[in-house]
This record gives sequence, structure tokens and C-alpha cells, in this order.
Amino acid sequence: MTIRGCAAVVNVECVKLAAQIKARAALAVCAAGPFAFAAAMRVQSSLPEDTLFGRSVKESGFAVPLVVLGFAALWVFPLLASVVGGDVFSAEDRYGTWKMVLTRSRSRSEVFAGKVVTALAFSLLAVGVLAVSSMAAGVLLVGSQPLVNLSGVLLDPAQATTRIALAWVSILLPSLGLTATAALLSIGTRSSVVGIGVPVVVSLAMQLAALVDGPEAIRQLMISSAFGAWHGLLAEPPYYGPLIRGTAVSAAYFAICLAMAYRLLLRRDIAG
Amino acid sequence: MERVALEALGVSKAYGTRDALCTVDLIARHGQLHGLLGPNGAGKTTLMRVLLGLVRRDAGTVRLLGRDLAAAAGAVPDGVAGLVEVPAFYPYLSGRRNLELLARLDGASRSLSRTRIAAALDQTGLGAQADLAVGGYSAGMRQRLGLASALLRSPRLVFLDEPTSTLDPGGARDVRALARRLADEGAAVVLSSHDMTEVDELCTAVTIINGGRVVFSGAVDDLRAHAPAMVHALRTSDDAAALAIAAHRPRLNVAANADGGLDVSADIDVLDAYVIALGYAGIAVRVLEHRSRSLESLFLELTAGGDRRTLAQPSAGADDDAADLEAAS
Repeated sequence: MTIRGCAAVVNVECVKLAAQIKARAALAVCAAGPFAFAAAMRVQSSLPEDTLFGRSVKESGFAVPLVVLGFAALWVFPLLASVVGGDVFSAEDRYGTWKMVLTRSRSRSEVFAGKVVTALAFSLLAVGVLAVSSMAAGVLLVGSQPLVNLSGVLLDPAQATTRIALAWVSILLPSLGLTATAALLSIGTRSSVVGIGVPVVVSLAMQLAALVDGPEAIRQLMISSAFGAWHGLLAEPPYYGPLIRGTAVSAAYFAICLAMAYRLLLRRDIAG
Repeated sequence: MERVALEALGVSKAYGTRDALCTVDLIARHGQLHGLLGPNGAGKTTLMRVLLGLVRRDAGTVRLLGRDLAAAAGAVPDGVAGLVEVPAFYPYLSGRRNLELLARLDGASRSLSRTRIAAALDQTGLGAQADLAVGGYSAGMRQRLGLASALLRSPRLVFLDEPTSTLDPGGARDVRALARRLADEGAAVVLSSHDMTEVDELCTAVTIINGGRVVFSGAVDDLRAHAPAMVHALRTSDDAAALAIAAHRPRLNVAANADGGLDVSADIDVLDAYVIALGYAGIAVRVLEHRSRSLESLFLELTAGGDRRTLAQPSAGADDDAADLEAAS
């Protein structure tokens, strides 16, 4: 496997992604969605008070990215993580193009690496666009007033910006873990519906399961819990236990799913 | 003797308990069109997939242009190209864009790939449709695009899996001409087909497989030497009497056909004499039609039913072939 070979595959995957409506639509929604949300908040009288920082969306623009972060953890991040990862391998099955791709000068390892890198990069890009867009929407449409954190302490704009940035960074690894899960499903089932849909459904199911009584160890092994670990960053003093556990769980999902996916692709007979 | 471009020895592949390929040997040389013949389900496509690294082999070695092909997951060496069944492409991209992506996977520079793509599209007659989305292509156009994608690799060893199966007669003629030209330029072309006529016209060497096993491998001329006389279907006013007359004539085999009428196997001069004899005997010939070509007859004989006949192993020479044929007969 060579860097040049992987880069060639990434290049090809990027061209294919750029030609697909779903990728462009996902990025467009990430860019425009927070502005639509912030604009709606400005004109309506009621507030999303049952959401963390929901009651602050008219008082501080910094609350907007945190409300979006809390909402997106439910199904938007799983969807963004799997929209490319869950399709990047199974699309070759759908179109019957494996036999064309794997009879060129690239090894399966290079094809695997290139496709995974593309899917991971798309997930990061989508989360990044959503983060920047929601921050911009909050500051531009509501303002950069100080933010009251979860412990009732006022954070000045610089402190709020840092904490919000860290909160968004904390969901990158869980997103990559879900992308790896989607890639595994994409290879294993050869179905884009399963590759994209199952991570979303499983993530929702995990969040529901977290609400019921059950063994704490099981709860902590759920990747969905990592999407809420940023709460500790907005407390005073900050606490990092959930963040560390969430990061470890996400890293485990990432490594195990990619290892299994790689093995599946290497051993697979392309018979269709 | 030309240099060996493909050397596959003892290749085996099983799916569960079913042997798809059983110690198959296949050797193809530069400048040679090598036919890979067999009925549907004989294992031709599986063998092609194994040789291109798409399917893992259970046993055996494969050398492509002098390089060992790893049992699994290795890249196909430069200079090797292949089409397995009907080629597939990304339907939302144009034919040209699809070729550009494949050229990038080959590591070709943009300027080089542009030149090669234009030449390949020109050679395959797709230039006018190259900028249309592949989703709107016919099967024949996809086949041509597949050939263009193979040409991008400046192939010295090409695998073509039934490349004319989806083409109209004109397209099939173009593809055969292209295959012949590649061989004339020094490439080894392995052409899979279930059409003996196509292989007879194009190829100088042939490997026939049936039930995943090689039943003949060697020069087409050697195969031709083993071929029976031509087979004709005959209907007369009195088939029983015609059969009786045939019984006393040398170099003539006549047998009752299960569908009615007679099957006559003989060289043309013997057949002429037989027809005249029938006339003298007062037996009218109502139908006399060519049933199959001689090589086709042998092919059908070799691959018919569950009985597996073997003319020769790949390494055997013509003399060995003849001995094996006698033994098999």
C-alpha cells in the first residue's frame, strides 16, 4: 500500500462525491440549517426550553451552537456520519463496479484506505460546516453576549467560544466511530440502505436505552453517550470523566469496525 | 515460441462443496489470441475472475506478465487489463468521466490520460457518445466503454469475457478486429466464449473447460485434427433403408436421431457418394442440412452431459493429444 495509491483513490472518491446530490445536499443543509433555526428563534415567541441552553437562544448567540449540538446528537450526527460511510462501499455493489475498480493498478488495501479516508473526511467536513454555521448564525443573528453556563456562571465571549469549540471537537471522534460502523455495515451487507439507516436507528435506540434502568457498564459502552459528553465542558468546574470514557468508547468502535471491515474486503470474492 | 504472458498452474476454486475450478492450467503467449471455451457454467468467468484477482483461488499459482499474482487482494500488474461479463460504470457520470477516474486509479497523469482516453474512445467507436451519462448507454455501448477502459492500460495481456455477447453483428466484428489487432501488436489476448465459431475464426490456441476442468488445451489446428467429420441432418423417404445402406459404407457414420431423421457424419466426398447411392436405391432425400461445423461437433462432444472427455493436458503436444483422443474414444 502506498500513499500515492491511497491518494488516487481519495481523488476518485471526491470526484464521485462532488457529482452526487446527496453529498451536496447534506453540506447545504449543514450550512443553512442553523441560520434557519436562529432566524426562526428570533421571530417566534416561544423557546425550546426543554433543550440544554434552549432558554438562552435569544439572550446569547453562543447558545445557538450548543442547542444545535444537543439536537444534532439525536440523529443528525449519526446521519452525517453514515451518509457517505454507509454508501461508499455498497455503492460499488449497487452499480456492479467492483470488477472495474479492482482490476486497475490499486490494491484492495489502497482502495479500502482511500474510501475510508474519504468517508471520514466527509464526516469531519459536515460536522465542521455545521459547527461553523451554527456559531456564525448565533453570533450574526442573535449577538455575542456572554453565556450563562450549566452551573449558572457567566462566560465571556472568549471563554464561551473556547468551550463551544471544545464541545464540538468532542463529538468528532464519536462521529468517526459511527462512520466506521457505517463502513462496516456497507461492506458487510452490501446495502446502502442498511449502511446509512442502521447507524441512525441504532444510535436512536441507544439513546432510548440510556433512558431506562440498566447496567451502567452497558450504558457506557454505547457510542451515543459520547455525543453528550460535552456537557461537562459547560459546567463549573468542568468535569471530564464522560468525555474520556466517550472518547475511549468511540476509539474502540472506530478501530474494531475498521479492522473488521478491512478483513471483510480483503477476503471477499467479487463474484457479482 | 513467443514469451509467456500468462501462466496459471493448478488453479482450484471451490464454493462450499462445489468445485468451480479443479487444477486448471492456462498458458497464454504474447502475440497470441487464446480462446477459453466452455458451455455456460463451465467455469470460464470464474477462471477470469481468479486470474484478475477478483476471486481468491484455493490453490495454484498465477503469473501475469512474469509477476506473481497474490492469492488475494493484490493489485493487477500494469499492462494487464480485463473485462469480466458486461462492464459496469457509474451511471451518473459520463463515459469520458468514468474513463478519467479509471485512469486516475491507474496513476496516469491528466495529460497522458486525456490522450489515451481520446484514442480509446476513438478505437471503440464511442467518441460521439462519450459525454453522455452512462446511465443512458445500451449494453453494447457499455461493452465498448469497457473495452476502452481496458485499452487505457496499454495492455500486454488482456482478458475478454464474452466481449461480443451484447453487441450487434457490426459491433462484434469491430471487437474481433480490435482483439486481433492487439494480438498483432504483441499482446496476449485471452478470449472467453461459448461460441466455437468465434474462437475458430479468431484464435490460434484454445483451452476448453467443462465442469471446472480442462478437457483440451493446445493449438486450434491440433483441435481441428481431432475433429470429427461434419454432421448433417438427413430426412429421406425411407430412413430405415437409408440406415441399412450406410452400414456397408466406409468412413460414413449414420445414426437415427432421437427427434426423427438421421444424423450423418462423414467427409463431404463420402457424403456425396452416399446421397447418390440413396438415389440409385430409390430413396428420396427430402432434407439434407448442415447441422454443425466440425470443431463445433468436437466441442459439443467434449462438453456434453456429465461424461468428461479429455483430449490433452495444457503442456501436452500434438502427439500426446492424439494418443489421449484415441484413449478417450
